[in-house]
Amino acid sequence: MTARGAGWSVVVPATAMFDANNQGVGMQKTDERNEEAEAALADAVARDDTSVRGRPSSWGLLLVAAAVVPGTVLFVVGRFLEEPALQAWRTVCLAITVQAMPFLLLGTALSGAINAFVPARVFTRVLPRRPALAVPVAGIAGVVLPGCECASVPVASSLIGRGVTPAAAFAFLLSAPAINPVVLTATAVAFPGSPAMVLARLLASLATAALMGWLWLWLGRAEWLRPSVRHTGHRPGHSRWTEFRLGFQHDFLHAGGFLVVGAMAAATFNVAVPRSVLDTFSGSPWLSVLFLAALAIVLAVCSEADAFVAASLTGFSPVARLAFLVVGPMVDLKLIALQAGTFGRAFAVRFSAATTVVAVVCSVLIGGVLL
Amino acid sequence: MRRFVQLVLLVLIGLALLHASLFTDLYLRYVKPGMRPMLIASGALLLVLGAAEAWSYRRRSGGGARHGDRDDHHDPDGDPATHDHDSAPAAHDHGHDHSGTPRVAWLLLLPALSLLFYAPPTLGAYTASRAEPQAVAKVPEREGFDPLPATSPLPMTLTDFTERVQQDRKQAIKGRSVQLTGFVTPDGAGDSWDLTRIIFSCCAADARSVKVRVHGSTALPANTWVTVTGTWHPGGTLGTSSAGAALDAVAVKKIERPFNAYLDALPPAPR
Repeated sequence: MTARGAGWSVVVPATAMFDANNQGVGMQKTDERNEEAEAALADAVARDDTSVRGRPSSWGLLLVAAAVVPGTVLFVVGRFLEEPALQAWRTVCLAITVQAMPFLLLGTALSGAINAFVPARVFTRVLPRRPALAVPVAGIAGVVLPGCECASVPVASSLIGRGVTPAAAFAFLLSAPAINPVVLTATAVAFPGSPAMVLARLLASLATAALMGWLWLWLGRAEWLRPSVRHTGHRPGHSRWTEFRLGFQHDFLHAGGFLVVGAMAAATFNVAVPRSVLDTFSGSPWLSVLFLAALAIVLAVCSEADAFVAASLTGFSPVARLAFLVVGPMVDLKLIALQAGTFGRAFAVRFSAATTVVAVVCSVLIGGVLL
Repeated sequence: MRRFVQLVLLVLIGLALLHASLFTDLYLRYVKPGMRPMLIASGALLLVLGAAEAWSYRRRSGGGARHGDRDDHHDPDGDPATHDHDSAPAAHDHGHDHSGTPRVAWLLLLPALSLLFYAPPTLGAYTASRAEPQAVAKVPEREGFDPLPATSPLPMTLTDFTERVQQDRKQAIKGRSVQLTGFVTPDGAGDSWDLTRIIFSCCAADARSVKVRVHGSTALPANTWVTVTGTWHPGGTLGTSSAGAALDAVAVKKIERPFNAYLDALPPAPR
């Protein structure tokens, strides 16, 4: 109590003129008053500043303003950062980033290694000749590319460049970020005690990938596609290790940046959205599935981290969370951007829309049975 | 310069992770204790990457224009003789040509600097006051409740207390003096407040809160850690879900913040 008393006596002079008789206010209130006083001071200083601009002779005042204004701004911004809501936002944001960082590193390291050490023609050799058969095989082959979705787009593009049928490459593109061991492990960690969620995610993602591949065989047109022949994999002329290191480093920084974006969006959602809105959606089974599917698209969390975000959406049904996990790695804002850049906008729009529908249907059907 | 930026980013993130996990216990504010080895490994790996980058950077700038030293797909800035290995300029947009820093990577500075210099605190009263009360898990009927130990006051966790109040049909908690620990979440109206713990299953993003309402004592400032001794505050039928998890406080004692704040643990043993 003595410390608080001392604090009080220090701040009284600043607040006394605001409210002399209110002795009972706590430290926090006093601080707010203090801040108001500071803000008023800042205003006054700013006004001084503008009046000074007319008379460049009074350098002294200008100097004082230059000395005071940045300090005041820093002080106000600092206070703003101390707001409990912003503190909570920063904590949640950092929590998602820190939690996902090791998984992201692991994923990008492995994807860098495969890019550098496994030539893409291996995939061509492994796949069956008939496209309809190649699609599910390519979907299952997604297991071997442990990376997040940012890594799978360029790989799929290079597969097409080396003669893999586009349908199979797209099945691979969709399944790889969702069903690889790293992501499934992360899912198991995020949902302790519910292995059904891991199985449901695996099956629903595989089903969506295969269906989309077949859908492309059936309806897809080559002119939507703008495949740019690209160099991934090993190129002669420099060391595989250098290639691995640089690919790893680039992928990590790239995906890490997107992870921060996702963490910020998720934290905003976590802190700012009133619980009642969540309850409105979580109450209705159909709306909640659609809502979380839309959320997965907007949040754009890396597939290695999205299970943790899904786990945090405690108010929702398991099926809705499954939809989040299935849609997230296949369609989201950053993926649409990546695909538009790689394959062209005409493709990205059609493909993403169709994938969303198929993914939601698959997760409802499989989740309905398993969860 | 672009590669220099990558170097700085890698080293900063690596240092931030090591700072939070190896040198301090900051990581406990965000993730589970079990994450520590992975965070340390990640930090170390990033520093190794940064070192490798620095080494190649130095070799290249030291080696001048020796062509063999310059691997053709990483162009030092401002070098007019850069090798155009990607035929389409569009390939630079989405960056698997591995040259340059993806612009989005700059965002990694935020968590890195935040961890290093201005780490936000554990979640507290603000989050708890906005969360809906967490329903305690149903204790299986056949297992039932063991008889309460005879210790008085009896140290309990908030979850245990809530379970006893709302599910123990034998009403063993009735009239018992118990001791609970948590932090203060003031309630705007009234003279009661919530003794609170925030727990999560994965990271602070999925935080839930356990609360016990405390009567008969004025609230200390939000987020003060306290041990409260008291008896069940009657309300509803004890042993059913109509009973409120509430306490008539006899004594409220300030304590240190526990090492891991995200555990619904027993009150610390008196020293």
